[in-house]
Amino acid sequence: MDRNYHVFSDGRLERNNDTVRLVTEDGEKKYLPVENAEALFVHGQVDYNTRLMSFLDDHGVAMHVFGWGDYYSGSIMPKRGQTSGQTLVEQVRAYDDPERRLGLARKFVAGSIHNMRTNVKYYDNRGHDFASIVETLEDCRGNLDEADDVDEAMGVEATARRAYYSIFDAILPEGFVFGGRQYNPPNNEVNSLISFGNSLVYANVVSAIRATALDPAVSYLHEPGERRYSLALDIAELFKPLLTDRLIFRLVNRGQLSTDEFETELNSCLLTESGRKTFSKAFEETLEETVEHPNLKRKVSYQYLLRLEAYKLKKHLLTGENYEPFERWW
Amino acid sequence: MVYVVVVYDVQADRTHLLLNFLRQYLTHVQNSVFEGDVTEGDLETIENRLDSLLEPDESTIIYEVSSEKLLDRSVFGEDPTEDRRFL
Repeated sequence: MDRNYHVFSDGRLERNNDTVRLVTEDGEKKYLPVENAEALFVHGQVDYNTRLMSFLDDHGVAMHVFGWGDYYSGSIMPKRGQTSGQTLVEQVRAYDDPERRLGLARKFVAGSIHNMRTNVKYYDNRGHDFASIVETLEDCRGNLDEADDVDEAMGVEATARRAYYSIFDAILPEGFVFGGRQYNPPNNEVNSLISFGNSLVYANVVSAIRATALDPAVSYLHEPGERRYSLALDIAELFKPLLTDRLIFRLVNRGQLSTDEFETELNSCLLTESGRKTFSKAFEETLEETVEHPNLKRKVSYQYLLRLEAYKLKKHLLTGENYEPFERWW
Repeated sequence: MVYVVVVYDVQADRTHLLLNFLRQYLTHVQNSVFEGDVTEGDLETIENRLDSLLEPDESTIIYEVSSEKLLDRSVFGEDPTEDRRFL
């Protein structure tokens, strides 16, 4: 499996002897094996040159850049290995047909509600009483069939997510207060974890979409906007409960991340470098976790599930085969 | 995927050849020792390249396990593979 590498130090990334080398500010040299790299996640301040860019391009390695505040600031992607005019045409056709677009939008919401419900049920079985939330989520899923357009489907997803987020304060230990989703910038520890986690999910989905001939800017649930990969937002929606939220609960409840790992400034609260390191490390371990896949009859990693989602969507668009969104089955 | 440990013993002025080559695939853990996960295909590339790099009286040894989990690995002192994905 191809790996993500995270660069937290400040310094210079360069091509050296046919691999990538980081020279930190105090002159330390660290090598990373380019042959098994999927993407570089750059969290520190680094310099690089065009020689490195062409080199990463040759090896199909993406560079995702993270900045301050709302974290994800962009990706430098290798030139497309996969191009297919036919896929793009079909992708746009499905967007342009209101029925088909709504059908896909509903699938993304349905999958996302299912995955939220799995988390709620898990904690419902562990000493919390979330029966009413489970019910709300089930109602939302029922209402989804009545949504007449994408805006309504989006509204159902917002209602579901609000109900889902209401369990956070009950699950999280003392010291961590959530009180609802806030971003740009996040206003407290929990929101900053959600922002950071979701941006990692998003960047990984961007990589996954890149492996197919799909265009990341043509989406169904989210409105295709300017300057963003809205198809990655659609797909990321399915995986946030599995990848981000469960990880937050685990890290915080086990005391692996404490409130000391955050820096609070006027109206904003952000993870410190060591906090981001702890989180990214646990996130990478999660991506490597595997699960037996009922159709493929073999074990696949969570990271591979992201890629499968892009393949499934592409197959649906090209062949009309039913698209079933990722719903946690274990 | 296979987990491999590669050790080599070559003339002192030629070690950089193997060092530079193996860095593309594996983690450098000690002088003349590399380890890490590789695909079957990459392993073959590594074997062929190492074979062609060697001169008489030099050798490299590759230890293979089908998964890192099967390897009972104890480290004393600092572990150079710790955080190898976090630079």
